[in-house]
Amino acid sequence: MALPIKYNIRNVIVRWRATLATILGVALVVAVYMLVQSLAVGLEQSSGNTGDPRNVMIVRKGSTAESSSQITREQFRLLPYLPQIARDSQGRPYVSADVIVLINLLRRDLKAEAHVLVRGISPVGMKLRPQVRLVGGRWFDPGKREVVVSRRLAARIGHFEIGDTFKTGGKALTVVGWLEGGQSAFDSEVWMDADEARSLFYRENYSSVLVRARDDAAAAGLIDRIESDKRLPLQALPEVKYYSAQTMTAMPIKILGDFLATAMSIGAVFAAMNTMYASVGSRTREIGTLRVLGYRRRTILLSFLIEGAFLALVGGVLGCLLSLPMHGYSTGTISFESFSETVFQFRITPWLAAKGLTFSVIVGVAGSLLPAVRASRLPVIVALKAV
Amino acid sequence: MTTLTFITKNALRNKRRALLCILSVAVSLFLLVTLLVALREVTVPPEDIGAALRVVVRNKISFTNPLPARQRAVIERIPGVAAVSPFSWFGGKYKNEEMMTFGQFAMDPKLIRPIFGEAKMPEEQYQAFEADQTACIIGKLTAEKYQLKIGDRLPLTSIIYPCSIELKIAGIYEGTIDDRNALFHHKYLDEAGGSDGWVGMWWVKVRSIEEMPRVTDSINRAFANSSAEVRAETERAFQLSFVSMWGNIKILVHSICSVVVFTLMLVTASTMSMAIRERFRELAVLKALGFRRRELFAFILAESFGLAAVGAVLGIGAAWVFYTQISIAKLTQGIFITFEVTPKIIGQAALVAASLGIVASIAPSIAVARTSVVDGLRTLD
Repeated sequence: MALPIKYNIRNVIVRWRATLATILGVALVVAVYMLVQSLAVGLEQSSGNTGDPRNVMIVRKGSTAESSSQITREQFRLLPYLPQIARDSQGRPYVSADVIVLINLLRRDLKAEAHVLVRGISPVGMKLRPQVRLVGGRWFDPGKREVVVSRRLAARIGHFEIGDTFKTGGKALTVVGWLEGGQSAFDSEVWMDADEARSLFYRENYSSVLVRARDDAAAAGLIDRIESDKRLPLQALPEVKYYSAQTMTAMPIKILGDFLATAMSIGAVFAAMNTMYASVGSRTREIGTLRVLGYRRRTILLSFLIEGAFLALVGGVLGCLLSLPMHGYSTGTISFESFSETVFQFRITPWLAAKGLTFSVIVGVAGSLLPAVRASRLPVIVALKAV
Repeated sequence: MTTLTFITKNALRNKRRALLCILSVAVSLFLLVTLLVALREVTVPPEDIGAALRVVVRNKISFTNPLPARQRAVIERIPGVAAVSPFSWFGGKYKNEEMMTFGQFAMDPKLIRPIFGEAKMPEEQYQAFEADQTACIIGKLTAEKYQLKIGDRLPLTSIIYPCSIELKIAGIYEGTIDDRNALFHHKYLDEAGGSDGWVGMWWVKVRSIEEMPRVTDSINRAFANSSAEVRAETERAFQLSFVSMWGNIKILVHSICSVVVFTLMLVTASTMSMAIRERFRELAVLKALGFRRRELFAFILAESFGLAAVGAVLGIGAAWVFYTQISIAKLTQGIFITFEVTPKIIGQAALVAASLGIVASIAPSIAVARTSVVDGLRTLD
């Protein structure tokens, strides 16, 4: 015979003053866990959002990111003739060679520095990345020292307003527009004309090549063809796959989140234990009465466990609510793959919320286990006599 | 019974609660110390002894852009410069590993002692390294991690140079702040990597501290308006420029620290009020016996302060013992190197514990002050 759950829930509510601190404690632990993990989720989503399923990315064999890759002009010249590559209405192949340069720029406070990724891109390259839109100003003119910067980056880097100029390598670049990458990795980039970038930064080689395959089978064929060609020390992979693998930066954040959650939850378990012991202590007579009425030890144990779990769950829900306002808030750090400033958002997903709630229930059960055992073992006569 | 024994007895009357309270304070302070130490290590990277006399010269665009090798002769002629070595990050992955676990730098082998004097290695190992162009030296931590001995091969695949190289270990050094890096001949990189004529950075040793500002200035001016403008700065400034790249992560850890402190306050304060509420009647008896409010406050404060102090000693002490005894570099695979619990951090944590003890006694004190003797005597738990 189980005690009605209503009994436990009412108990939590009646003793609200004593339990409030515990609930808040659990809520804060869950909120910290959710916030840190939502950063990792945001980072993963931003790289997962990037790329077009029809595109194939080509980089130097062995390099882990575009920014550390090099493709010589001789290697590049062989690529447009591959039969698997799609062509536009005029018969021109969809092939774009990009130049990636990392530049040091001042942050918006004009004191600290950031490392920003500049992509020298061709008109075809822009066509191959349809998820990037212009949201202010105009596109750069080829052959001019003009750049279009990410709107989200403009919120973090100095001199990134439309019309501003900034210096790099002794030359001035003018910001003529803002781009928006639809919460993808392109939100962390500065775009300019590829040839202009090569002459400005004295780059003989390209960094990466992006091509569009005619169809899925052609894409697979193209990847095979490039991987097996001994003349080309290159590797090809689907663009989507390339970006979704760029999640190394999320790892330490995840570890930090787990470490914090573990350490803080130990404290929260102690707090829950304290509250539950006090709750058992002040209800000694009540428990005795329940035993006399015929409720079994097992039932009482279970009922206190439920009470602890419910208490913590309330805290968990509160924690979720506390972390929710940060959802979508933009932040940034250095990416371990490209060594450049990466802009991403806090992302609180239903799955993450479910993890946070499960976590809070575990804290509740762990904290109430010992007090519940004590409650179930109280000798009936003594319990009834208690003041 | 003295006042002290009275307070101690009171604090320990519910041993389980006192223990839980102390433990939660201890765990929270341990966490706080860990976060503060980690934050310090990230924002104030450990400094090498020889760093004060070293200047790092990198491409002004960013350190990922190379510099032409011809700049060396120009820098060497600048008065006050004792030695100049190329210093190129190889970015190699060891064997078949997924990630880079230690740095490898190509440099001039003859200049290791003049520039990096703190690296300690037997004389014959230095000679063996200088004599063989395919040789390298590695730090003690890396050698221990991969169980490498002198004479072993070190296969590396670069993520930036289009080559894989195999180096022969000629020596194992120790004594620098981060004994992990591998150093090898720049000539070997020039021949293997096909980037002849280009280097990653220049590392410069300056004769005296007084000459540092002038030398950095001269180097910066020497290449102004050339095709490869440079930024010369002290090793310290170079290190700190990496710190600013962490961006908002610092703020994040800071806010987490505050949340930890707040949670700690909350939990301890609630335990304290629980303990006081339990003996309202006793306190009323004390009041009736003629103890003044001030004395009752002192009892409560002393008890709460004492619990916090014991928790603090346990938590901070455990953190101090743990982080000084174990090799944190090994445990975190080299993400953290020194992980030093500084007196300042101990002080900060102790301050948090002290204010915790005081804050936690406020709510119960107010409750005691508000209740009249009669009401207090009437309370049934």
